[in-house]
Amino acid sequence: MEGNLIKLSEEFLQELWEEIEEMGMSVKDLRRCIQCGRCAATCPMALAGLDYFIKKIVHASILGLKEIFLEDSSIWGCQSCNRCVEICPMDIKPYELILALRRMCMRNYAMPSSTIDSLRNYYEKGHSVITAGYEERRRKLGLPEVPPTVLSNEEMRKKFQEVIKQTALAEVAPFPLD
Amino acid sequence: MAKIGVYVCHCGENVKGAVNIQEVLDFAKTLPEVVIAKDYQFMCSDPGQNLIKEDIKEGLIDRVVVAACTPRTHEPIFRKALEEAGLNKYFYEMANIRDQDSWAHWHDKLGATEKAKRLIASAVAKVKLAEPLEDRYQEAEKSVMVIGGGIAGIFAALDLAEMGLKVYLVEKQPSIGGNMAKLDKTFPTMDCSACILTPKMVEVGVHPNIELITYAEVEDVKGYVGNFEVTIRKKARYVDWEKCTGCGHCMTICPSKAPNEFNLGLNDRTAIYIEFPQAVPKKAVIDTDNCLYFKTLRKTGKVACKICEKGIPSKNIAGCPAEAIKFEDKDEFLTVKVGAVILATGFKVMEKHHFKEYSPNSPDVLTALEFERLISATGPTEGELRRPSDGKKPKSVAFISCVGSRDERFHTYCSKVCCMYMFKHAKILKEKYPDIDLYLFFIDVRTAGKDFEEFYVSTKQLGAKVIRGGRVSAVDIKPNGKLRIRAFDNDLCSPVEVDVDLVVLATAIEPGIDTEKLGRFFGASCGREGFLREVHTKLYPVDTASRGVFICGCVQGPKDIPESVSQAKAAAASAAATVMPGKIKFEAISAEVIRNKCSSCGVCVNLCPYNAIVLEEYQGIYKAKVEPALCGGCGTCASACPSKAIIFHGFTTEQILAQIEALTTY
Repeated sequence: MEGNLIKLSEEFLQELWEEIEEMGMSVKDLRRCIQCGRCAATCPMALAGLDYFIKKIVHASILGLKEIFLEDSSIWGCQSCNRCVEICPMDIKPYELILALRRMCMRNYAMPSSTIDSLRNYYEKGHSVITAGYEERRRKLGLPEVPPTVLSNEEMRKKFQEVIKQTALAEVAPFPLD
Repeated sequence: MAKIGVYVCHCGENVKGAVNIQEVLDFAKTLPEVVIAKDYQFMCSDPGQNLIKEDIKEGLIDRVVVAACTPRTHEPIFRKALEEAGLNKYFYEMANIRDQDSWAHWHDKLGATEKAKRLIASAVAKVKLAEPLEDRYQEAEKSVMVIGGGIAGIFAALDLAEMGLKVYLVEKQPSIGGNMAKLDKTFPTMDCSACILTPKMVEVGVHPNIELITYAEVEDVKGYVGNFEVTIRKKARYVDWEKCTGCGHCMTICPSKAPNEFNLGLNDRTAIYIEFPQAVPKKAVIDTDNCLYFKTLRKTGKVACKICEKGIPSKNIAGCPAEAIKFEDKDEFLTVKVGAVILATGFKVMEKHHFKEYSPNSPDVLTALEFERLISATGPTEGELRRPSDGKKPKSVAFISCVGSRDERFHTYCSKVCCMYMFKHAKILKEKYPDIDLYLFFIDVRTAGKDFEEFYVSTKQLGAKVIRGGRVSAVDIKPNGKLRIRAFDNDLCSPVEVDVDLVVLATAIEPGIDTEKLGRFFGASCGREGFLREVHTKLYPVDTASRGVFICGCVQGPKDIPESVSQAKAAAASAAATVMPGKIKFEAISAEVIRNKCSSCGVCVNLCPYNAIVLEEYQGIYKAKVEPALCGGCGTCASACPSKAIIFHGFTTEQILAQIEALTTY
């Protein structure tokens, strides 16, 4: 990008389409989009003012503008509400595109640091979001200091990590899986 | 004493919503010679008309005023009601208290009611002085002339011929086929244009009821509906078409070249040529501007070349095997009598040179019709997509919509077919060359039409990239030969730039060069944009202001092939309905000259917009005479005549003065 100008032919990367396909989204289906804007009218990302909300994401994908997704973190702001899928009149399943793009970005190590932190938490502790510093309060309420999930079950946590290691994360995780 | 009945129509809420009906009725009853004043919800309905008919039959009334809507749409049906009840239909007057009153003064109910009263008083004053008039009938020629041999003209001619009418199909070019013959494929079905058009052209060529007159133009028109006399100039062909077999041998030996109009100048043709391979009739003509024989003759007076006729004996090359070359050929004139005329002369596409911002001088910036020839199997590259500049296959192509359309500087209208043919071009290219990179720039995508939206989506699915939201601002030539396009992408909310190898401009559909002139010949007028104008967009879509003259296809405005064909069939039906009964009715509302008052000044002759008045010798003096069949009933002559020698039946001076008096009295 040069300032605000997007060079469609120079920035076009056909590999984006191939990667999207590989990540489980049909580009042919995606191209049915007529940019009616119905998804954007319901998308929390659009309401929150993110630069690349769902309608623009679909359009940029059709144009093969891969760099946008590597540089802009909007796709990570998707709330997975799935409203876009339910409302789309062309049945293109926009949310699945977001997932495909996130997978593509993972492979290019292009994501916000908060996403890496969440992922690390997920792998190491079994939860992407952990509430720390509540031990005292929990004890006062008669609750165990550590919640009775994988957090307090070392054996299950190890098993969980073994499962994770068999997923695509083994290849693409931006931190060592040990 | 006349017995006048006044009938006030509510027109549902249209009149009643602004006019106090009861007050108007009470007022009407006070007018002199009004014996009845009634109201009804819809006077034009059967029960409404019956009110009038019964009052006439019972002898209560002998003059009728209907206060309702516009005479333009409703006068005929009320006149008919009078006729059915046994009263002369010209004892009728209409007060327009809707269009000119309730609608115009919707928020001023008192004022609207007052105005309704005056309009009714005026109509009553006029109808009081009405004279009984009789319509006249005149014989009609049972034949039709269709001018323009494109898809619209072809279909109009075929339908009329099938009805058993004699049809004269006149075409300017040597062959019929028009613009459709230049197209590669047609949306949304992707039929090959030539495949669906050629059989129809052949049908025209062999139909016993169709006389095909190509390479000809209208020279003069006389007469009126039922009895047009059209003079046609058949341009000299310099080839005897009786002998020419269409073998094309002459085109292989002619040494003179000229830009090939059929391929929009993308390649050359010979000076003697057959327009295109599927031409009907498939006959050759000599273009004297470029023929070596004629050029030399004009410049030096000497005889040269004549290779088409004699061949080159020294090289053992023979001349025309049919001995059809006829250098001494002359223009021929023929006059044809027809009862009705259909104008179907089509359109032309706007030239690219108007758009300096799009680098029109680059050979790689094409108009859409040029591009159509470039990808056509009968085009200059035989269908192979190659850049005109270097002959290389383009890897990327951009299409730009609304070039000259939706633009106050050029044409305010939408050319209607461009969005769809852009998708058609994209589809043709994507199916032939799946890897080609296509960018389609739209202001917005307009695909209203049967199967059109599906065509758009399926083209997108092939991978054509659609950029909406604003006109392309510039096409610049880069040093590496690429063309750079600057635009705005609404959906990305960003200015964008694209480098491509070829640019196709969807330039506007424009009226043909001679549209206005042709219209004037026949008394058909053009609209603001120069297309021939229909009488009423919805109710009379193929009729013109001139009776017996109909229009179809792009001469009326931009439209696609299905629409042109539909209109052609509509025009054929209307033309047939005009001439088939064999006689034509002429309304009695027309001007008449009182000979002994006429001072022979001739003022009326030049003023008449219908060319209905001539100075005719009568007892040794020239006197004005109105041809009633041509008179359009406008009244211009009657108001202009300095000797008050013209009576305008239906609108006499006495009637108009009485109307004015009534309007100003109450």
